[in-house]
Amino acid sequence: MGKMHVISMSQWRTVILQLAPSFSFYAPVAFNSSQDYELIGSHNTDDIIYNHPKPSTPLKTFFLPVKENVTLDIPGKKQTIIMGAPACDLAALDILDEMYLNRDYTDMYYQSRRDNTIIAGYDCHSVLENCHCTSCGVNPFPEKNMDLILTRLDEWIYIQGFSAKGDALMDKIREYGDSPQAGRNENGFARIEEIRSSVRATLTDKNNKLPDYRSSGPLIGRSGHRIWQSYASTCVSCGACATSCPTCSCFLLIDRPGFEKVRQLDACQYPGFERVAGGEDPLGELPARFKNRYLCKYVWKPLKFKSVACTGCGRCIDTCIGNISKNDLLEELAHEDRIKTPTG
Amino acid sequence: MNNYNIYKPLKAKLVEVIEESPTIKSFVLEPERDFSFATGQFIELTLNGTGEAPFTPSSSPLVKDRIEITIMKAGYVTEKIHRLMPGEIMGIRGPYGRGYPVDEFLGKEILILGGGCGFAPLRSLLYNLEAEKEKLRKVTFCYGSKNPAECIYEPYIDNLRSIDKFEVYRTVDKPDKTWTENVGVVTMLLDKVKVNTEDSVAVVCGPPVMMKFGVKKLLETGYSDTQIYLSMEKNMSCGLGKCGHCMMGEYFVCKDGPVFRYDEIKDQPDIWK
Repeated sequence: MGKMHVISMSQWRTVILQLAPSFSFYAPVAFNSSQDYELIGSHNTDDIIYNHPKPSTPLKTFFLPVKENVTLDIPGKKQTIIMGAPACDLAALDILDEMYLNRDYTDMYYQSRRDNTIIAGYDCHSVLENCHCTSCGVNPFPEKNMDLILTRLDEWIYIQGFSAKGDALMDKIREYGDSPQAGRNENGFARIEEIRSSVRATLTDKNNKLPDYRSSGPLIGRSGHRIWQSYASTCVSCGACATSCPTCSCFLLIDRPGFEKVRQLDACQYPGFERVAGGEDPLGELPARFKNRYLCKYVWKPLKFKSVACTGCGRCIDTCIGNISKNDLLEELAHEDRIKTPTG
Repeated sequence: MNNYNIYKPLKAKLVEVIEESPTIKSFVLEPERDFSFATGQFIELTLNGTGEAPFTPSSSPLVKDRIEITIMKAGYVTEKIHRLMPGEIMGIRGPYGRGYPVDEFLGKEILILGGGCGFAPLRSLLYNLEAEKEKLRKVTFCYGSKNPAECIYEPYIDNLRSIDKFEVYRTVDKPDKTWTENVGVVTMLLDKVKVNTEDSVAVVCGPPVMMKFGVKKLLETGYSDTQIYLSMEKNMSCGLGKCGHCMMGEYFVCKDGPVFRYDEIKDQPDIWK
């Protein structure tokens, strides 16, 4: 861990207003019953939400925009600060980094954005209906890929640095807002640890029927046809599960005149995703497409990458207009499997 | 930071269009700088402003200043490519993926089974093998097509027949009056040719249904899973193992293939679709 700092909320608001003009500063703000990242300025500093899971938009969208021309020069641009990234989204950067910073084929657009962004992660101080990070081996507080961790306790903001970029920003924060009396630090950081344990326990308890998603590949591999037909019956191939997923990053390349190419976020749930000119289409049938996403995440990606392809954010369940719950499906699969292969 | 943009194509001038059959044309391109590939690797060919599609070059990997792509009219992009005239500037990205392990083929007997436009990557392989013929025992090439008009690379076939150690057998589903060679599906040729499956390999490239039955027949003939090489056709788009369109089970066909040994892929889902 790097530098630590504590400042009052009123000072923190001043700091944000000082930082905002020099950076593209994003943080989660509330919309009705949900929250999402917004560009922060004097008009919405008071609307920022702290330590509440989770922005509707996954963090990936900052690094892999929905649509982007990938043949133009990278414009020089302001450094971006993203405040409020939850641990599930931060963990998801592992597999994106593996894919897009691959030694053979580094994606310069992804790399430029990663290099140019300072990420301040949030601890989650509450649990939403479909949160299940602990079943994917992810804790509800940032442990990787963040430059800072920012936590609000009452009227105080606790900041810890975790990288050179984070520490450099911390120096700027110190310039704009001073530290309170000694002693507050220790108590505050001890309380943060208590909250972490308590939220983790709540999550583990709430999801105790779910299998360990890191090793659920064989479960899916052994599954019969019926369960996929059944769960896919309300799927309309809208692709919201993949769009809202922090690790799904399949894309389409669209040609423009001048040999330009535009990369657009795509999803294996859309019809025609794998269709070839000759007419063959392995994912032509909806149940096959539906199952493909599970096979990809839990069976194939784990064979290909070191990092997990599901970090338990639960957005695919939140966003599904067919009311399909991945967690119900996995729970049912685990249950069926226990009946089929009783142990002890 | 890395300054190489993996999405930007290399420009290439179309210098010749060869009509191979009513549905297949070859396009000879001169890239703006020398372009190297290993036989069996593929490229992404851009038709400016229209689209991009994956093709395995049909020319010799030993030639660096010209590249030949043989294309069947099958979809949106290929139909437009078929209308091109020499002089057009196209784009090339790649080469991508894993080609044929030619070094592992040396010293062995090689059976090559091709169907339709699947001859294209195989011609590149045959050029490569021809250059290494001193180190080969025998090459048997079996080619099947729908009808005599769809049999491509006529002059090259004559040339191949004249090369020591190379044998060529052809068949068509529907013959015409001029056809003097075999009639029937390409797998039928395997009953006619003399092959020694010991210390040998078989290479198959063609439409999915032909590859499916080709592999079945090869296994019946005595080849093992580890002796059969396939060039897989999927919707390779980025060529970089990122866009996801060519996933075949645990493999990205664009990066891990397109050439696979049969034992590597036989348990993956939908390999013939």
